[in-house]
Amino acid sequence: MSDMLDDRFDDQLRDSARDYNAPPTTPREEMWAAIQARRADGQADRQTGGKIRQSPSISPSDRPSARPSVRLLRWPAAIAAVLALGIGLGRLSAPRPSPAAPIIATSVNPPRNGDAAYRITATEHLGQSEAFLTLFRASVRRGGNEQLASATARQLLATNRLLLDSPAASDARTRLLLQDLELVLAEIAQLAPRPSSPDLDLITEGLERGGMMSRLRTAVPSGASPTQGAL
Amino acid sequence: MRDQELIGRVLAGDPSAERALYDAHVDRVFRLVYRMAGDVDRAQDYTQETFIKAFSRLGEFRGEAALSTWLGSIAISIALNGLRKVKRSMEREVVLDEALTVSRTTAAAEPDLKERLAQAIDDLPEGYRAVFVMHDVEGYTHEEIASSLGVHTGTSKAQLFRARARLRKSLADFVKE
Repeated sequence: MSDMLDDRFDDQLRDSARDYNAPPTTPREEMWAAIQARRADGQADRQTGGKIRQSPSISPSDRPSARPSVRLLRWPAAIAAVLALGIGLGRLSAPRPSPAAPIIATSVNPPRNGDAAYRITATEHLGQSEAFLTLFRASVRRGGNEQLASATARQLLATNRLLLDSPAASDARTRLLLQDLELVLAEIAQLAPRPSSPDLDLITEGLERGGMMSRLRTAVPSGASPTQGAL
Repeated sequence: MRDQELIGRVLAGDPSAERALYDAHVDRVFRLVYRMAGDVDRAQDYTQETFIKAFSRLGEFRGEAALSTWLGSIAISIALNGLRKVKRSMEREVVLDEALTVSRTTAAAEPDLKERLAQAIDDLPEGYRAVFVMHDVEGYTHEEIASSLGVHTGTSKAQLFRARARLRKSLADFVKE
């Protein structure tokens, strides 16, 4: 008797479960374009001996949630603020030549420790920017809170400018990415409190057209978190 | 047979064969990862990652299982890994959020059966949920599930049995009604 009830329940369960996370229409073309772009990026990396990307097999969504939640936007903002503070403190505490001391010619290249610190900071920033832009794109699709996004973009923009101005910013590809990222972040930072759809469409189209998301994903070493495994 | 032909052409460097292979399997892969992720952006990312990985490793495919099963195993592995990391990230965000916001309680409306069921499925342990979604929702056979998850067929059956038992327990009050 109990088995019969269980069987009937299982049948009902199967029927009801078909609506569980019911998939939308497969966005074939969009995904195919992204696959082609990322594979081309991977080939370019191999040809140029690029070392930024460690593995092609980890999903970009492994990084912070793609769900458009307003409270999640605080996370990149908080990290960006900490990064900006860190870079600022680093600049202030860096040794400066004394006016009285003779200027001695040294190597043009900054110390290796500085390079490593810059790479780590830039990677974290790019990871946070990628997470933010993923959230932003999803939020736009669902009519989320772009006002908060604008505030977060300003925080990231400040960090972005510090990184661009850094004397350690010697890698041409990272510089180019930071420059393109600056434009996108500036556009979002300047959004009106209630932005019009065309404004938002321009930004999201710009993200797609410039391959910004895939370039960011390629630039960030894959892993659980942009703050993990950097060393 | 058609898959074998396509694989041969892909390995020979034919880009149209890559697209044909993608077209033949993308719906099934996307459906599966969407069912697991419940989010279109993540599902797209996991699907893209699946095909990028599949194209790069196609030479390793020996044809011991169907190509769809092989792709399913890549897809489910990517989705489970990704969702584990998302879960960790969400837990960290909740801690951060609790520190930043004043907690508030709201009287939530009683969810209907579908919402309760969806929540109960979400709450299943990872392995149970994967087997339940693949078998009862997407219609995979136990052989396909076993091959995709790298477990024995018996394990797949046992996990499905336990998943259903948990769901029965979670929805006990609905069943009584």
